Amino acid sequence: MKLETDAQTLEDLRIFGKREQTGIFDLYNDTHTRGGEKLLREMFRNPLSDIESIGYRRHIFAYFSEHHLEFPFEGSLLDMAEKYTASTKDAGASRQQILNDKDIENGVVSIIQLTQKLRIFIDIDVVKASVPFAGEREAIITILESDVLQPVLRDKNSGKVSYSAITAFDALFRSKGQIKIEGLLHLIYLLDVYLSVARVALKYGFTYPKAHQKGSRILSVDGLFHPELKKPVANDMVMEGHSSLVFLTGANMAGKSTFLRSIGTATFLAHMGFPVAARAMEFSIMDGLYTTINLPDDLGMGASHFYAEVLRVKKIASELHKGKKLFVIFDELFRGTNVKDAHEATVAIAIGFARNSESRFIISSHIVEAAEQLGVEPGIDFLFLPTRMNGTTPEYTYTLERGVTDDRHGMLIIRSEGILDILKNGKKGRIYCNEAQ
Amino acid sequence: MSKFKIDRQTLDELNLLGKFRAGSVYHLFNQVRTRGGEQLLDEMFNNPLSSTVLINERSETFKCFQEHDFRFDYDVQVISVFREYLDTKTYNHKIRVYFSLLSRSVLARLTRDERYKKSIQGFQAIVQVLKKTTALMPLLSWAPEPFQSRVQEIQVLLKRPDMDQLLQMDIYSEIDLGTLVFYEHLLKGKLHTDMENVLSFIYELDVYQAVGMVARAKGLGYARALEPEQNVFRCQNLRHPCIEKAVGNDLLLEEDSNVLFLTGANMAGKSTWMKSLGIGLYLAHMGFPVAADSFEFSLREGLYSSINVADNINLGYSHFYAEVVRVKQAAEAAASGARLMLMFDELFKGTNVKDAFDGTLAVTEGFAEYTNCLFVVSTHIIEVGEELRGFPNIQFRYMPTILEGGVPRYTYRLKEGITEDRQGMMIIQSEKILELLER
Repeated sequence: MKLETDAQTLEDLRIFGKREQTGIFDLYNDTHTRGGEKLLREMFRNPLSDIESIGYRRHIFAYFSEHHLEFPFEGSLLDMAEKYTASTKDAGASRQQILNDKDIENGVVSIIQLTQKLRIFIDIDVVKASVPFAGEREAIITILESDVLQPVLRDKNSGKVSYSAITAFDALFRSKGQIKIEGLLHLIYLLDVYLSVARVALKYGFTYPKAHQKGSRILSVDGLFHPELKKPVANDMVMEGHSSLVFLTGANMAGKSTFLRSIGTATFLAHMGFPVAARAMEFSIMDGLYTTINLPDDLGMGASHFYAEVLRVKKIASELHKGKKLFVIFDELFRGTNVKDAHEATVAIAIGFARNSESRFIISSHIVEAAEQLGVEPGIDFLFLPTRMNGTTPEYTYTLERGVTDDRHGMLIIRSEGILDILKNGKKGRIYCNEAQ
Repeated sequence: MSKFKIDRQTLDELNLLGKFRAGSVYHLFNQVRTRGGEQLLDEMFNNPLSSTVLINERSETFKCFQEHDFRFDYDVQVISVFREYLDTKTYNHKIRVYFSLLSRSVLARLTRDERYKKSIQGFQAIVQVLKKTTALMPLLSWAPEPFQSRVQEIQVLLKRPDMDQLLQMDIYSEIDLGTLVFYEHLLKGKLHTDMENVLSFIYELDVYQAVGMVARAKGLGYARALEPEQNVFRCQNLRHPCIEKAVGNDLLLEEDSNVLFLTGANMAGKSTWMKSLGIGLYLAHMGFPVAADSFEFSLREGLYSSINVADNINLGYSHFYAEVVRVKQAAEAAASGARLMLMFDELFKGTNVKDAFDGTLAVTEGFAEYTNCLFVVSTHIIEVGEELRGFPNIQFRYMPTILEGGVPRYTYRLKEGITEDRQGMMIIQSEKILELLER
């Protein structure tokens, strides 16, 4: 099963990089092979939604993080093998034109070496002892032991193969051996992903979250941070049982969006079975993940920001209505309308959301008054990111605290730019001049 | 008086300039036929006038051209040949001119050298244009001052004895080398400035007739400039000139009612109305026709706008900061005592509702005291309006939304007051979101 999400969410969390900007994917991508990178990208495109497959992947990653192993092949070897196998898929005739004799020789030799090295790799103690990897190991062994590959394993020439032998291997790889070779390559790519993600986890100090059954109402993070930040501040958050909604307040620069991105990214990666940027994390598996952090105003299309927000809320509401369990994030909900409407709408939607106790919602807002009304509702928690005033300069701790804050700095900035003073002391019109005197 | 103050941001927001930008105001008026006409139009667009007399005079001229339905029937090709002929330099000394032309005529016979032909064509073009212009003069008897003086000036020029022979020339009979040399030397030498004068007169005609034609086709009206001290802005049925079937509105801003506080839903037409005001004021300062039935304005020293700032929400804080900087510039300009028109659309939308509320309120209150400026501010935060009720010089208008079976419809007609449209909850209810969440 796949975790449902959408383009807006991927954009908000910056899962994939754009132009100069790198994404979460790039952070995790330490693969040696192109096939491995492709496979990793596939995984990022398809987060999971069932406990078995999440757990399966997670255990393999965790195992390799624990028992550090280097990827046993050189990238160049795989490049040559890849070039060779890619062309075997085409009809035999055209293939001769694409590959010259040298390419064929390189291809055959690299496949022989890959196969033999793989044979050695699966017999390393650490690999042999691995319970999580046993399935994949078994699959590798099955392929290696097939009759077709026996001549390959028997070959002792290591690197120097005669022209006639190459012709023979080439014929074998093109016919009976083709499916086996492809199968092996896929497993090698998978191994590349496992080892590289495990390495990334070690490098950045990521942990493997613990997944719980769908509907078990658990979400807790300990020492959560944003993986892309140089000096991140870690935060803890617990949303357990019936407390399904967090109402987050804080000034513009206090770090709300970063926190929302951190928790969103961690949840996304957790659903891939990947390590996350936290000390510890436990979560109930969801059906979907939707964030609304940077909702673009589609002015050209004629839809207003507010309307875009409403449509998004509606989409989520109808998913919830179908009984889906979701993780939902809204940053600055309903900022595209007037204060009164924003207030009423925020209260109504928050209460409506909070009823879905098996889903999890985080809403950030500046409408502190809404918090007063929501305070009496069950299932709603309040967190805020504080600002400490150091004279007139605000300082931020980036550490979550319980409660509500009405910190705002919009006016502070307007004042510190001296706009109001300029207007106060300027040459005013006749009426107000007289009044002032 | 100093130059009219306007900056790139305002020019862009109002889409005033830009030859190749579809929908720009310049594009609308750019119906000129000649290159020189286009340059003149460019110059007018880049230099709004700063004297009531000049504005009203130019505006009157456009009006007369429109009323008399003057047609520009010069052959554009001939005019560009004329231009080219004047631009190619020749020798100061007649003998050298003779020899250069002679050599060209020989070359033209021997090879494919076209320079001799060009000289003949250029000369013929001048004769044609001068004849045409002479014939045109009586048709311009209605021209108002100061353009009338221009007409007189050209008329005097054309009646000069040294012109007479030129005008008698029959271009369809043979022109010998001697005549060609004589005139090449004369036209590019002694008469050069006169010829330039005739050309620029033609460019002026081109612009006047083109703008008059656009005014006629689009049903534009003419603005009347008043002295700055009167401090008034009055328009009837003012529209956006570039929008087909645009809905017009009336407005009166005066010394004691100089602030317009505009509310309405997002799509209701606030921004378009503000743009119409800005474009109208700018065109009026150029002495150009405006998209209004009537338009009277006191001369202003500048125009500042902040409309539809590209919504770069990704920038979040810095977008808000950019707005703050913009407001600061405007505040400084207003504080200097200049008579400006300031327009702010959806002020501080880059931040949260509450900061936007406080910011809009404080800034509007601050600007409201500058009664020698006109100030238009729009917001979706209707609560600000309630706070501003106490100011005698703030006018409240809104763009209404009519809900028809859950579908909003917009009239684009200004109404007095602050909108009561609580679109927010209305949309949420019409989308039945709360019911979905009920389960």
